[in-house]
Amino acid sequence: MLGIFQIHEPDSIEEASSLLKEYGYEAAVYAGGTELLLVMKEKLAHYSHLVNIKTIPGLDEISFDPEARTLRIGALTTHRQLEHSSLIAEHAPLLAEMESTVGNVRVRAMGTIGGNLCFAEPHSDPATLLLAWDAVLEVGSDEARRRIPIADFLLGMFETALQPGEILIDVHLQLLPANAAGAYRKFSTHERPTATVAALLQLEQGVIADARLAVGSVGPAAFRAKEAEEMLRGQQPQEELIASAAESASRAADPVDDLHGSAEYKRHLVRVLAAEALDLAARRAQAEVDYD
Amino acid sequence: MTASGSGIGRSVPRVDAREKVTGQARFAGDLKLPGMLHGKVLRSIYPHARILGVDVSKAEALPGVVAVLTGADLLDIDPYYGHSIKDRPLIAIDRVRFVGEPVAAVAAEDEATAEAALNLIEVEYEVLPAATTMQAALAEDAPLLHEVEKLRPGLFHGLGELRPQGNICYQHTIARGEVAEAFERADIVVEGEYTFPAVYQYAMEPHTAVAQWEGDQVTVWASCQHPYLVRAELADLFGLPVTDVRVIVPYVGGGFGSKSYTKMEPITVALARKARRPVRIANRVDEAMVTTRRHNMVCRMRTAASADGTLLARQVSLWLDTGAYADNGPRVVATAADAAPGPYRWESFHVDAYGVYTNRPPSGSYRAFGATHLQWIGESQVDEVARRAGIDRVEIRLCNLLRPGEEVRPGGKPLDADLVGDVRKIAEALDWDSPKPPGTGRGLGVGLLAAGARPVSTAIVRLQADGTALLLVSTTEMGQGARTVLSQLVSEELALPVERIKVPGGDTNVTPYDRSTGASRSTTLAGKAVQRAARQVRDELLAIAGEHWGVAPHALELRQGAVWYGGKSLTFPDLIHERFGFSGGEIIGHGTVRPEAGKGSYAAGPVFWEVCIGGAEVRVDPGTGRIHILKLVSVADVGHAVNPELVEAQEMGASMQGLGNALFEEMVFDEGQILNSTLLDYHVPTIEDLPDAFISRLVENEDGPGAYGIKGVGEGALAGVPAAVVNALADLGIKVNELPLTPERIWRALHASDVPQRQEPIFKENP
Amino acid sequence: MTEGLIGQERPLVTISLRVNGEPVEAVIEPRELLLDFLRDRLGLMGAKRSCDTQVCGACTVLLDDLPVSACCTLAYEARGREVLTIEGLAQDGALHPLQQAFIEHTAVQCGFCTSGMILTARSLLQDHPRPTRQEIRHYLKGNLCRCTGYWNILKAVESVAGSGRQRGRVGEEAT
Repeated sequence: MLGIFQIHEPDSIEEASSLLKEYGYEAAVYAGGTELLLVMKEKLAHYSHLVNIKTIPGLDEISFDPEARTLRIGALTTHRQLEHSSLIAEHAPLLAEMESTVGNVRVRAMGTIGGNLCFAEPHSDPATLLLAWDAVLEVGSDEARRRIPIADFLLGMFETALQPGEILIDVHLQLLPANAAGAYRKFSTHERPTATVAALLQLEQGVIADARLAVGSVGPAAFRAKEAEEMLRGQQPQEELIASAAESASRAADPVDDLHGSAEYKRHLVRVLAAEALDLAARRAQAEVDYD
Repeated sequence: MTASGSGIGRSVPRVDAREKVTGQARFAGDLKLPGMLHGKVLRSIYPHARILGVDVSKAEALPGVVAVLTGADLLDIDPYYGHSIKDRPLIAIDRVRFVGEPVAAVAAEDEATAEAALNLIEVEYEVLPAATTMQAALAEDAPLLHEVEKLRPGLFHGLGELRPQGNICYQHTIARGEVAEAFERADIVVEGEYTFPAVYQYAMEPHTAVAQWEGDQVTVWASCQHPYLVRAELADLFGLPVTDVRVIVPYVGGGFGSKSYTKMEPITVALARKARRPVRIANRVDEAMVTTRRHNMVCRMRTAASADGTLLARQVSLWLDTGAYADNGPRVVATAADAAPGPYRWESFHVDAYGVYTNRPPSGSYRAFGATHLQWIGESQVDEVARRAGIDRVEIRLCNLLRPGEEVRPGGKPLDADLVGDVRKIAEALDWDSPKPPGTGRGLGVGLLAAGARPVSTAIVRLQADGTALLLVSTTEMGQGARTVLSQLVSEELALPVERIKVPGGDTNVTPYDRSTGASRSTTLAGKAVQRAARQVRDELLAIAGEHWGVAPHALELRQGAVWYGGKSLTFPDLIHERFGFSGGEIIGHGTVRPEAGKGSYAAGPVFWEVCIGGAEVRVDPGTGRIHILKLVSVADVGHAVNPELVEAQEMGASMQGLGNALFEEMVFDEGQILNSTLLDYHVPTIEDLPDAFISRLVENEDGPGAYGIKGVGEGALAGVPAAVVNALADLGIKVNELPLTPERIWRALHASDVPQRQEPIFKENP
Repeated sequence: MTEGLIGQERPLVTISLRVNGEPVEAVIEPRELLLDFLRDRLGLMGAKRSCDTQVCGACTVLLDDLPVSACCTLAYEARGREVLTIEGLAQDGALHPLQQAFIEHTAVQCGFCTSGMILTARSLLQDHPRPTRQEIRHYLKGNLCRCTGYWNILKAVESVAGSGRQRGRVGEEAT
């Protein structure tokens, strides 16, 4: 049972932004509602004003800029759209692969990529992958627009860099170069994942030119395993190297004890998943295996 | 004469399937009465506290609130209930004993108002020392949950005198011979301490009750398994003759024991009494979890054997956490004791079983209780004996298993099943003698569950003038297919197609007495009563026809809704017309099952021994510790399958619950508070948890006490599966003495040498 | 916090939608959940409340052909859209092939999950008429059933999907 609220239907980002400013802490952005309504039903939070940004046209579109080789994903694009979009399948199959594992089919039908990122739930699948991908988020208010690298956007558990009145508009993804590939691995024992790892590797003549490794779900927010990335660059993706990088990522994790498992076990899972993800990414980059 | 109904042994479609696939089936929560209010319950936030005061004035003043119920409203009645031990007030009187205990209840015009009113109730507590674990409850200076000399027996206890010792509410011992002597003599002794977690039944429909008073009579629509026992307890609570309490049971959305006995009905009836309007209370999942659950358990067991693998003796002590109130705990204690020795030919055994009060939510029935708790432990010790004796794990069972007719426990019913044959079937389905792929473990487990509860059931068959039959029986249809199977029994006896037999839901003013729906008893016991009722109708039809043709009834044949004599026939409507001289009237038969009846002795108990058997083939992911189930096998030793597909469906459902219990289900407590009280954090098996292969075999030896040699199934696989999985793991060298077998636990077991072992599980109190 | 008090001002919105093909117009509070709207206002009781947290799928209905958890979806969200509940699946008294298959394969026990299970499968087959067993399992993962052990549900869906294992009996391989 939900508490009483009013719903607002702005036509533009500017109008939505000013509504958010006007109602301050009493207001929340309403997108897919999958996380927000759950929290409100459980009485963990109450907002007297929901600002429904789905009445703003154009926020649920996916477009591709062939010049810049970038995908622009509207914040209101649902997980299901990403899972099934032909543009995504063509240019970012890894994103579709990850999206197909989010929550369940109903959550994917309603939940949006923007809502997911703005909610900053620590077990978010998209956050882990997009962090590895160096996605850039465009946010706007009634005053200005700005772009934030996702690493600077996700600040902690349920915490983002959004300022009062700011709304996530879209997600910009630079396509991976032809000689790069990625993998996303997760381990779940409950509805939400226990540990998530995303790896992106670019290979030039058998040598890792660029490596990005993100770890999520185990702690308050997803993080990049920088030391592991350093270790990988300039090296051949051999088993021992991958094992060392995975070990490094595991050490870098700051897991917490909770219902999903002990910190110690999660740290171990990070090592296992990171090794799997790096191995798969390397094989994909060498075109040995394709995306699912 | 012969009845060629061929109603049994056929997998006819469920009679309720069409209603259910079209959304027309009605459950208690679908009912709307004129003027019905919505009830919400304010629950204790402390595991143990004295209630100093409850101020409901603000809540009562809220527009839309019709009534607020507290313990103070119950001064005119004896507000305690509990079918085994009358230890539980229907709402807290002066003390709360677990987090989640009802302290007040609000009835309001709508749900939102009721919920809002809960926030306006002010409760003043004085927090008391709590015993939120069995360890704490059994300590010398433990706070006592119930400070009484003598516990009051409930209406259906059958447990002898109840003398609590500290927080032990019930103790049950079974013994044969001298175990000490056997252990001295033994070449092999296997022993260990084991724990079993608290588990949530998760019937998908949470408990729901609707109560409506009319004068001094009350009608309750409830998601309950045992309408007659609920009726008796309500009558007792509210000081009414039982006939002034009417309990109606629509379709029930799964029970699995969670809706056995009395649950949310008393508080709903009390709230409706105060509100003077109909009231509905529907639990949420977190409320269902604190309404009843499976007992967590600590068990110490040791098994003695000779060098050749002959099992000699077993000694068991076990403690079951029944929570703040006994609920069905005493019965669980007794059944666990019965299951502890396992189905073997022991020289001696000794089992001490205890039910312990703690400041946790009450525990009661959950499918295959007792057997599920014990079988994986006992069977893992049998496997270990086999390993040490150097003999095959199937062989050791074939050598030591009880044979039909042998005593299972002193004074009880002798074994009524071919366990050797059942084990052979499991082994065959597992390709036991074939080489195992590397990294694959195989295991099996066999056991017995005292089934049937009390053998008291009645049924009425009313053959109508149009040739259709109405079967009145109080068995609850909660998914198991009771209405279908019982229709088939009528069909068999009356040679009437199943489509012409209607089975309405239980209604204590309409359908006759049945003790309960549980303990795998309905097809066997209610079925026997149904058969007898149908036979009375049949006999009367034959008598009428015999009189008509002037021949003896045995010369007649029942076929296709008619009685035949040579080439001549009289349809049932013809016969009713003949009987009444009018195209109206009906023929009524009734059937009764009492303790004396049936094949073998019901009185000695149990009604029958349900075979609990399962086999598994598993693989373990060394990286994560996740168990992958390659194959799951069950045998349904059913005596005679009325509807083979429904038997298989029961087996598969029980097996999947068994997997959940074995692999991941656990209610996690902290200071008596459940930490995983939503399905987000309490994982039950999904379709992705299905094993790669699922094999279910039927065994029909017609050795059960029901009609046609029927005996019950539906629970056994749940106890068999954890045993099979634990043994399959041990086959891989992974030994565990704690369920569930979470990936983390397996990972720790795999790396026992290089991973520091955690003594205290995360966020979890020892049982 | 005391929300939802009678007497407190409750904002209202008017919505029009189609439910099982029929136009519906209603004045509702924005906070009204689709599940309560269907059950309490329209008397469509097929969708059930169980976990109440989008995990179990007992409340599944199709919103513009896509499955949603009616327990966590605002009725407001359905404005201008088409809702299909289990009651609207049979056409002119003829059961949908999935309904028929659930009967034939004993894929129904207590019935509490059944509406959601069938509607989810319907949504899968609409997009993907010949899914593999793996795809069926992945799609139905969010619909819990505590009674059947899922096997018969899988068989029922496969029989309609025509994925080559229509008449499977217990004992066959699952993957």
